[in-house]
Amino acid sequence: MTFVVTLIVTLLLIAIPFPSAMALVLPHFGVLFVVWWALMRNYRLSMTLLMLASIPMDVAYGTALGLHALIFALLAYLLTLLGPRVRQVNWLRQSVVVFLVLLLAAAASYWGRTLTGQDPEFLLLVVQALCTALAWAPMRLLFEWLAHLTGEPEVRTS
Amino acid sequence: MRPLFSQTSVAAVRLMIAATFSVAVMFIDVRFDALNGVRQVVKTMLWPVEQLAALPSVTVGHIGNWAVGHSRLVERLESLALENERLRTEQLKLQTLRAENSELRRLLSVRERVNERLLQAQIQRLSNDPFVHRATINRGQLAGVVVGQPVLSADGLVGQVVMVYPHASDVLLMTDSTHQLPVQVTRTRVRSIAMGVGRLDQLELRNLPDTVDIVIGDLIETSGLGGRFQPGIPVAYVTEVIRSPGQPFVRVVAEPVAPLSRLSLLMVDVSERGGS
Repeated sequence: MTFVVTLIVTLLLIAIPFPSAMALVLPHFGVLFVVWWALMRNYRLSMTLLMLASIPMDVAYGTALGLHALIFALLAYLLTLLGPRVRQVNWLRQSVVVFLVLLLAAAASYWGRTLTGQDPEFLLLVVQALCTALAWAPMRLLFEWLAHLTGEPEVRTS
Repeated sequence: MRPLFSQTSVAAVRLMIAATFSVAVMFIDVRFDALNGVRQVVKTMLWPVEQLAALPSVTVGHIGNWAVGHSRLVERLESLALENERLRTEQLKLQTLRAENSELRRLLSVRERVNERLLQAQIQRLSNDPFVHRATINRGQLAGVVVGQPVLSADGLVGQVVMVYPHASDVLLMTDSTHQLPVQVTRTRVRSIAMGVGRLDQLELRNLPDTVDIVIGDLIETSGLGGRFQPGIPVAYVTEVIRSPGQPFVRVVAEPVAPLSRLSLLMVDVSERGGS
């Protein structure tokens, strides 16, 4: 239930029509969704759910099907390994770790996009990773609130 | 539910499987367009979510219109009436020209061009991905839109329909880095391919010979080659001609005629049959 609710809220955030000039500084809400699940509730997440969640993200962003599955799998792998330690530090340090992990995801995204014929600028992907990491703290609170609403047991953090 | 990554080695294996699967799906989607059905089903399921997400901006727009003062509305009405008069005069001239053109085509035994049938559409949203220049419009299969139809604005070409859903369509803007368009320079009839570079205000014409006659300010229009677009639709103005010493080719930068970042109303040319 929590998974579906957080996914729908994430899709709503992605679907909000922002001005095109803002696209460069918008956080990647889909990535934050995976970051929250992989860091905070990884014991409830499965690869199948992750792959299924990536499909509407690809459709909503207009990217090739499979691009977000690749990014999500890499993020989930890295954050699940780091999870227990990252959960214990404050939100600022968490944001730094999220940024570093997102840089690796940006590299995967760059590779995947090049493979599909796009010509992305890596620097813009880095800017997007930074904006996404900055949005981690408020998005974490939002997802925690949604988890609380749906009766998901809380995880102890710092 | 099984934990995602319980042990490091298992985790690495799962990551490898997931990555291989993802890359295979990307390859199938991009190279063979075999997953368009999946995309259509998912987009149709996302339709209520998109409507809900657009609700605040639509409401703000309505409130903004409502709050516009009476004097400004009268002023706008007057300017529209004047514009309407001008367009009606232009249309009279156009009718004469059309008849003349038709007669000339008959004399030259050239087939009459199909009359344009334009369908008005509104942009619902632009993709929030900075590297994807796609717009979702509020006309779809039910309105007669098919894949491949050109999309225009009052100023010139915008792009083409790439995906069609029952109530909406995805338009690939001509500035997307995967979009290429056969064009010609209006003044000299030099043909080229206009390529999107991932910026809403820029197109590039590559591989033109160094001796080509092209200057800043030249209008670029569709050439009609490829059969997708009718010839003569304005595309862009040349803003930069870069000649590098020792290089056999010149790089031409152009700015789209249609203001792609500020567009709201579009026209889909439904007289074109489209095609994948």
